[in-house]
Amino acid sequence: MKVLDRLEEWLIGSLMAAATLIIFVAVVHRYLSGLAIPGMQDALLAVDLSWAQELCIYLFVWMAKFGAAYGVRTGIHVGVDVLINRLDERWRRKFVLFGLGAGALFTGIVGTLGAILVAGLVRTQQVSADLGLQMWLVYLAVPLGSYLMSFRFLQVGWRFFRTGELPKHEVAHVEGLAP
Amino acid sequence: MTAAIIFGLLIALMLTGMPVSIALGLTVLTFLFTMTQVPIEAVALKLFTGIEKFEIMAIPFFILAGNFLTHGGVARRMIRFATSMVGHWHGGLGLGAVLACALFAAVSGSSPATVVAVGSILLPAMVKQGFPKQFGAGVITTSGALGILIPPSLVMVIYAVATSTSVGQLFMAGVIPGLTLAFLLGVTTWYRARKFGYPRLPKAPWRERLRALRDSAWGLALVLIVIGGIYAGLFTPTEAAAMSAVYAFIVAVFIYRDLPLSRVPRVLLDSASMSAMILYIITNAVLFSFLMTSEQIPQAMAQWLLDQGVGPLMFLLLVNLLLLLAGNVMEPSSIILITAPLLFPVAMKLGIDPIHFGIILTVNCEIGMCHPPVGLNLYVASGIAKMGITELTVAVWPWLLTMLAFLVLVTYWPPLSLWLPRALGMMS
Repeated sequence: MKVLDRLEEWLIGSLMAAATLIIFVAVVHRYLSGLAIPGMQDALLAVDLSWAQELCIYLFVWMAKFGAAYGVRTGIHVGVDVLINRLDERWRRKFVLFGLGAGALFTGIVGTLGAILVAGLVRTQQVSADLGLQMWLVYLAVPLGSYLMSFRFLQVGWRFFRTGELPKHEVAHVEGLAP
Repeated sequence: MTAAIIFGLLIALMLTGMPVSIALGLTVLTFLFTMTQVPIEAVALKLFTGIEKFEIMAIPFFILAGNFLTHGGVARRMIRFATSMVGHWHGGLGLGAVLACALFAAVSGSSPATVVAVGSILLPAMVKQGFPKQFGAGVITTSGALGILIPPSLVMVIYAVATSTSVGQLFMAGVIPGLTLAFLLGVTTWYRARKFGYPRLPKAPWRERLRALRDSAWGLALVLIVIGGIYAGLFTPTEAAAMSAVYAFIVAVFIYRDLPLSRVPRVLLDSASMSAMILYIITNAVLFSFLMTSEQIPQAMAQWLLDQGVGPLMFLLLVNLLLLLAGNVMEPSSIILITAPLLFPVAMKLGIDPIHFGIILTVNCEIGMCHPPVGLNLYVASGIAKMGITELTVAVWPWLLTMLAFLVLVTYWPPLSLWLPRALGMMS
């Protein structure tokens, strides 16, 4: 379980960094290749980076799906809790469990729909416009991410059921404030 | 009828406290499984293609850029610059707090983080100088929200995504209202400080001002890179966001040296999970707006309002009331994503400018952060100032009234927002 947690964190952090670097390099490349520096210009023009945008989108699709699952574990998906926080503990508990169950159900359904979609794409062998990637590979993030998210909802629900603790995301954490 | 069922279900699900994204998604699925013949495959495809637009990718990049600079060191530099510029007038540190909040919020992109960063540094200093704690807490709670209106603003990007309007135009339209609101909050602070005779600072020499400016300029340049880059046509908004993320990384790690390289993975992870949360709401909101369009709910609502004789003035008043109410229970991105698909078509039918409408929604979100009973900024500030919510509610009212007056101004005087983008030739 620890391994899965670390893998998840490592994956989404790296996707974020990779996407930023790719767009940065693509923009810098576009401007540098506009400069008339002998030798360098030809070399730069020979490099085609038109696929950068598409790759960035796919990296973020993966980041979004797995990041959403990570967010369940850390309690970042907030809802409207003003009402249930005013209920007495017994009722609040029921509503929290209901909410987590609904989350598991919804992400489970989406995961299954995603699996059907991916299965269909494997048959059609559709490829992406710029990169020529197999589309089913791109959309594999949907069933994998959603099932992981569903699992996280169940995990958080089970822990809440046993210990009454919910993961709490700190909305305003700022480092370096201690003098 | 359909509309009543959809919204009834959505509100009921949201009130159980489940995540907003899940409530949106479940509403749509329930409706589709039980009441329509829309093929589920078409919906499934929407669910996966909802975020595949390059424009949306500005959101994670802006979050990353803001997180690199959300640091006490950056806040201290902004505060030093702000107080050296305005600290000698009435209001002293309080006036400095308004300016520091505006600067830090613009760069960090987060209202609650601004309240925490500027508040934990300036509030003790203000109390030590003899300001009442209520005064300081009131200034910081409200000024902390300024960043939503000053570009680069995440809320505006989300509005642009939800309504297919231009991020560049929205950013430019936000500049003058953002500065105006900062000015008005400053005036309120100045007036009350003069009335009650609060302490002022000695006038800082120009040498100190210049040094403070040079020190904070690295952070502030982020705003210029984004606005300038988009305006000059150097980058698309998404590219500008990515460039600003790389720039923020360089400033935080190599120039300011606030952030050791070993902490960078943590910043990446936090930004990624924050972005993923917003992208997840967007995915489900796209689905929800697809459902509303296919059931023609916005059109029906527009027709109904027109039949009732509701004009643009009345409509905007209703929108403001609705959003202020929503501001109590939801955070800005959810408010925009849920209300925009419904209200935007109606606003268009009534002849309201799409960019102006976006600024109105943004200002509402801003006020929603800090108005009682349950604005997020109030909660964060009550933690910092160690004051109860009721006490803080009393403390914020002069600035809150200023904000509400400003909201009326923004709502009913479109040139305030639209003059700059028009003068720059960005819109007709």
